[in-house]
Parts: sequence; C-alpha cells; structure tokens
Amino acid sequence: MSQDMIEQRPDKPEEDVAKETTEPRYVFTPPIDIFETDEGLVLRADLPGVTAETVELQVQDNKLTLFGHVAPYVPEGVKVLHQEYGVGDFLRSFILSDEVDHERISAKFNHGVLEVVLPRAPKPEPRRIQINSQ
Amino acid sequence: MPVFRWGHSWDAFRDLEREVDRLLQSVNLTFQGFRFGRQFPSLNLFELEEEYLLTAELPGIRVEDLELTIAGGVLTLKGKSHDTSAIPEERYRRQERVRGVWQRAITLPERVQEEKLSAELNLGILKIHLPKAEAVIPRQIQVADGDSSSVQAERGASPVATSNNQPTIRHSTTKSIPIE
Repeated sequence: MSQDMIEQRPDKPEEDVAKETTEPRYVFTPPIDIFETDEGLVLRADLPGVTAETVELQVQDNKLTLFGHVAPYVPEGVKVLHQEYGVGDFLRSFILSDEVDHERISAKFNHGVLEVVLPRAPKPEPRRIQINSQ
Repeated sequence: MPVFRWGHSWDAFRDLEREVDRLLQSVNLTFQGFRFGRQFPSLNLFELEEEYLLTAELPGIRVEDLELTIAGGVLTLKGKSHDTSAIPEERYRRQERVRGVWQRAITLPERVQEEKLSAELNLGILKIHLPKAEAVIPRQIQVADGDSSSVQAERGASPVATSNNQPTIRHSTTKSIPIE
C-alpha cells in the first residue's frame, strides 16, 4: 500500500458523526478507486444521490475530506418491505502526502460519481548550497 | 465506585445486533438468490399507497448501459459498470467500486401491473415504480341497508378480472422498460 494517501479512519463509530444535525442521520463510507496517472493521482468515489451542490470537498493542512449530503428520495413514512442498503450521507477522509500539489486539486461530479484529480507537485530542483569559508 | 464499567461494552452488542440483522435480512426469500453474500445492486423495496417502489444505487451507470426486462413476473436488471480497461491494473492503488457486468433477477411481488412499470435513473439512483393491481388497492365497500338484509360488495369496473385472464399471453413476451 502506498503512503501517498493514507485513509483516516474515524475514531468514533460512524453513527456519531452526524450527531450535530437536527435529526439523526447515518453516515456511510463510500467505496473509492484510486489510480495513478502520469500527472498524479485520480480518486473516484461512488456517491449516489449526491449532487455537485451537496458535495463538500475540503483540504485542510494535509487532510482531504469529502462529504456528500443525500437528500431523501423516498417519500417519508412509507412502509419498508425489504432493505438491503441504508440511506444516509457519505463521509471519507484521507491524508495527502507532500507529493500532491494541494493548490491544484480539482474535482468534477457525474452521475453520482465524484472524480478528484490530485496532481503531483513538481519536484523541487536540486539547489546548490554555497559554502562560505571564513 | 462501580465495579463494572459498562461504558464501551455495549459496542459489542451493537456489532452483534448488526450481524444478526444482516443474517436475518439474508434469509429473505422474496429476492432470489439473496441468501449468500451481497448481490449487486443492493435493492430497497417500499410500499406506497398505489405502488411498490424499488430503489437501487447505481452510481456512474448511464441509461444506455442499463437494461431492464420483465418476463413471467421476473424483473431482470442488467448492466455494465464503468469501463476500467483504459487504466492498467498496476496503476490502481485502491479498487473498491463495483466494475464489470452484473445482473440481478427479482420475482415481483404479486398483484403488480407489469405493463405499467416505469423506471427513472437520476444521480446514480434507480427508481422502479411498480403500480399495484387495482384489486390490491383498498376500496370502499358499500354496506346495504339492513332492510334488504343482504350485504353487497361493490366491485368497480373490473379491468382487473380481464387482465387476470390473459397473463399467459403477456408473460410469454419479454418487455423492455423504458428508462427516463
């Protein structure tokens, strides 16, 4: 496993994360793909039910956080006959390495899939250090 | 001073509860083949007043890559997830999303008007509307006045009866459902 992006696991159980909102909501960890390109890394996350307006992507220090809010799409109070997946918001965060150029991170959203492009930071040129003799 | 500290021990129960939930869910026989492991796509089924609503999470799947067919009371969802062939395997650091071709067949609940099924795909969420047959929708029964000493159940116009007479014809053909 590469050290470029280390996933941050929440310390608390996932349900606790959403406590601050007015009503209890579930928060799920979305499945992701990460692959390397010549320019850097590309991250794709499955966020069904999330739109470009309800997704939040944040880089703070070296932590990349993605949060997707899902608006309920089933009428409230209907009878559930069978349930295989839960509906809630999506949250996942990663630690970025210095290799990623934080300033140039870009993202787009398409059919419920978020694609984040993480360009590699240009390698600093070797710098010669002048040694002064006294 | 408490001898036992319950603080975190409930977490274990929560896990157990979740596990039991999961096991119980997988026993459901309404959905064919959902006894072992998780099938893709996961489905939720709701009951509304006049229809059943089936929802599935299909992020990244376009309408042209999705095929819904219905034949003999079995609804088949078939599709292709994102094409990964453009990216060589060794370039992946992590791969969790579903890929490739998938298929899932569901036996429809009884008393659904198969010919009136409709589906929409929006923001990666598929919704299939299954209108209930009229016989299932609750309907008012007129009670006759006691004087006539007979109770009459009023049956509306009975398109239900006629449609029930010809399921064999309908079932023999496979029908594609247009997705909006």
